[in-house]
Amino acid sequence: MDSEDDMHDANDVESVDDGFYSGETAMDSDDGDAADYDFIDNDSDDSDDPISHRSQQNYTILNEDDIHLRQEDNIKKISSILSISNNAAAILLRHYNWSVSKVNDEWFANEEKVRRIVGLLEEPRALPSGKELTCGICFDVYPCDSMSSAACGHPFCVTCWQGYISTAINDGPGCLMLRCPDPSCSAAIGQDMIIALASHDDREKYERYFLRSFVEDNRKTKWCPAPGCDYAVDFIVGGGTFDVNCRCSYSFCWNCTEEAHRPVDCDTVSKWIRKNSAESENMNWILANSKPCPKCKRPIEKNQGCMHITCTPPCKFEFCWLCLGAWSDHGERTGGFYACNRYDAAKKEGAYDDTEKRREMAKNSLERYTHFYERWATNQSSRQKALADLQQMQNIHLEKLSDKQCQPESQLKFITEAWLQIVECRRVLKWTYAYGYYLPAHEHAKRQLFEYLQGEAESGLERLHQCAEKELSGYLNIDGPSKDFNEFRMKLAGLTSVTRNYFENLVRALENGLSDVDAHGGTSRTGGSRGLGAGSSKSRGGSSSSRNKGTAPTARSRNIDDSGHWSCEYCTFANAKSATVCQMCQQLRS
Amino acid sequence: MQASRARLFKEYKEVQREKVADPDIQLVCDDSNIFKWTALIKGPSETPYEGGVFQLAFSVPEQYPLQPPQVRFLTKIFHPNVHFKTGEICLDILKNAWSPAWTLQSVCRAIIALMAHPEPDSPLNCDSGNLLRSGDVRGFQSMAKMYTRLAAMPKKG
Repeated sequence: MDSEDDMHDANDVESVDDGFYSGETAMDSDDGDAADYDFIDNDSDDSDDPISHRSQQNYTILNEDDIHLRQEDNIKKISSILSISNNAAAILLRHYNWSVSKVNDEWFANEEKVRRIVGLLEEPRALPSGKELTCGICFDVYPCDSMSSAACGHPFCVTCWQGYISTAINDGPGCLMLRCPDPSCSAAIGQDMIIALASHDDREKYERYFLRSFVEDNRKTKWCPAPGCDYAVDFIVGGGTFDVNCRCSYSFCWNCTEEAHRPVDCDTVSKWIRKNSAESENMNWILANSKPCPKCKRPIEKNQGCMHITCTPPCKFEFCWLCLGAWSDHGERTGGFYACNRYDAAKKEGAYDDTEKRREMAKNSLERYTHFYERWATNQSSRQKALADLQQMQNIHLEKLSDKQCQPESQLKFITEAWLQIVECRRVLKWTYAYGYYLPAHEHAKRQLFEYLQGEAESGLERLHQCAEKELSGYLNIDGPSKDFNEFRMKLAGLTSVTRNYFENLVRALENGLSDVDAHGGTSRTGGSRGLGAGSSKSRGGSSSSRNKGTAPTARSRNIDDSGHWSCEYCTFANAKSATVCQMCQQLRS
Repeated sequence: MQASRARLFKEYKEVQREKVADPDIQLVCDDSNIFKWTALIKGPSETPYEGGVFQLAFSVPEQYPLQPPQVRFLTKIFHPNVHFKTGEICLDILKNAWSPAWTLQSVCRAIIALMAHPEPDSPLNCDSGNLLRSGDVRGFQSMAKMYTRLAAMPKKG
C-alpha cells in the first residue's frame, strides 16, 4: 500500500508542475496527466516528436463524472434516434452492453423481437379498471390509486413493490434487469420506478450498479486495476500499444490488465506470473528441504530413516546424506553408519559452507529461474524505491536545491526528468528478465543480441541511477552554490538521454522479436558477439556490481547445454540427454 | 414477519376453498407453525410416478413471498432433479427465477410439472440424469417406477 500512496502523491505534485510549465510545451497544457504520457513515450517510442505521440494516444481516462456524462449521452442519443423514453433507452443499452451501434442495428433489424426480448411494451397498459384491486403479492385489496404497475398494468401495492425492489437491489446487479413480478409477464421495470420506490440506501446501491454496469459490461471500458483507484479507461482498440497510464499514475496493459509490460507480450507475462506464484513456494521448499543427488542431480527429500540414501532408479547411486559422498567410502572407520566424520571434519575446515552448497545446487536448473526471478524482483523493488525518491525529490529536495544553488526551480526540471526516466527504465528492464527467461536457449544469436542490448541498457541505467542518487546528494548537503553544478546538469541530462536511447533500442528490438539477427544472417552473429564483448568490458569498468549479474546467464545456460542436459519447459528441471520425459514432472520433452 | 404471516394466512384460506378444485395437491399447514407446511402430491399420469403419492416439506422464510420457500421431498424419489438422499429439489423458480406472485400451491404445480418433464442436464441425482442423457429411457423408467412402488405407494398385504 505504501508504494501506491507514493505513486499517487508523486503524480499530484507533478500535475502542479505541469501547470507551472504549461507555457513551455503545447502538450502539457490540457490536463494534469500529460506528463505521465510523455515520459513513457519519450523512452519507449522510436520517434522523438512528442506531438505525434499525443495524437497516437488511444484511450481516455474517465472519472466518475465523465462516466455519468457518457452514460447519459448514450441514453439520450438512443432515446432520440429511436424516439423512445430515456428509461426505455437505458434498458435497451444495458441489455446490449452499452453498445449504441448494437442497439441501433438490432432495433432496426427487428424492433418487435428486440422489444420482446428486452421487455419493452409498445403500448403501455393501464391498471385494470375497477374501484378496488387485489395486489398480486400480498393478495390484499386496495383502492385503485394506491396501486401501481409497470408498463404491463399488473397491479401491486406500493409496500409490495418496495419489498420487491429492495430485495432485488440487495441481491446484486441483477436488479438492473428487473422484470414485473407476475411470472407470466416479462415487462422490464424502468429506472424511474425503481428510483421512485427504493429507499435512500437502496437507491444509492442501484445507482452504483448502474454506473458500474456502464464500465464493466461495456467492451470499450475497464476500471483501472490499481487498488483504490476509481478511474475508468475508455480504450480504442486498433493501432498503438496496449499500455495505459492511469491518472492515478499506475500503468497497466489494457489487454491483460496486468501491470504495463511493454515490450514483452501478454502471454509471456502471464506465463511468468503464473510461474512465479507456483514456483516461489516450490522453490523455497525445495531449497530448504532437499539436496540434489550427487550423481544425477535430482532433488531428494529425506523424510525418514538413516543417512544411507539410495537414489531411485535408474540412478540408484548410494551416498551419505551428510557429506554427499559415495556410501562405499563409509563404514566403521568413518564413525559408524549413523554419523559421518568426513562431514564433521570437512565442516570444521569450512569446505561445506554455503557457497559450496550453492555450487552443488548450481547444476540444478531451478538456479536458472532464480537468476531471472531475482533480477526481475530487484528491478521491481528498485522501481518502487525510485518512485519514492522521485516524490521526495519533488516534495522536498527541489526547493531546497533551488535555494542552495540559487537556481530557479524551472531550471531543475532535468532532475525530475532523470528520475522519471529511471522509474520507466526499471519497469522495462524488469520485464526483459521475464523475456529473457523464455528466450529459447538454442537461439544463440538472438540470445547474444538480447543480452548485449539488455546489458547496454542496464549499465546505462545504473550510471544514471548512481548519478541521480549519489552525486546529487552531494549538492544537497553543501551550504553554498557549487561552481560545478552546471557540469552536473550536463552530465545528468546527458545520461538521461543516453539511457533513453539504449532503452529505445532494447524496446524496439524486443518488439520486433529480435529479428535483426535473422535479417543479417551470419554476419551479424559475429558482429553481435564482438559487440557483446566490447559492451561488457566497457560497462564492467564503469558500473556497479549488478552489471556483472547481467552477463551471468550466458555462462550458466551454456553450462546446462554443454553438459548435455535439457531443461524441462514446464518445471525447468535439467534432465539427462537420453530422457524423453521430464523426470521431475513427467512432461514430454518438447 | 407480519407481511409474510398475513400472506400465508391468505394462502391458508385459499387452500381450504380450493381443496376440491385441484385433487392432485393437498396442502396442509402445521398446526402450531404457519411457516411449516406439508403437501401430498399425486404422481402425474403417464409417468413412472403414476399411482404414487409424494410428500413435500415446506419451510417458509420470514421474507416470504419476496424470498422463495424451501421445499424438499420427504418421500424417496428417483428423479434427475431431486437429491436422492436429502430430497432437495433443483428448480429455477425455487432459486433465482422466484417471483413473489407465486404461491405454495403454484410451487406444488411446478413440482408436478418437473416430475413429468425432468431436466437431465442439470441433475442433482447423477445416476438418474445419466440414464436419461445416455438415452436409456426404459432403464430410467423402471428405476423410477420401482422406487415409486417401494416408497410412494401403500404397502400391500
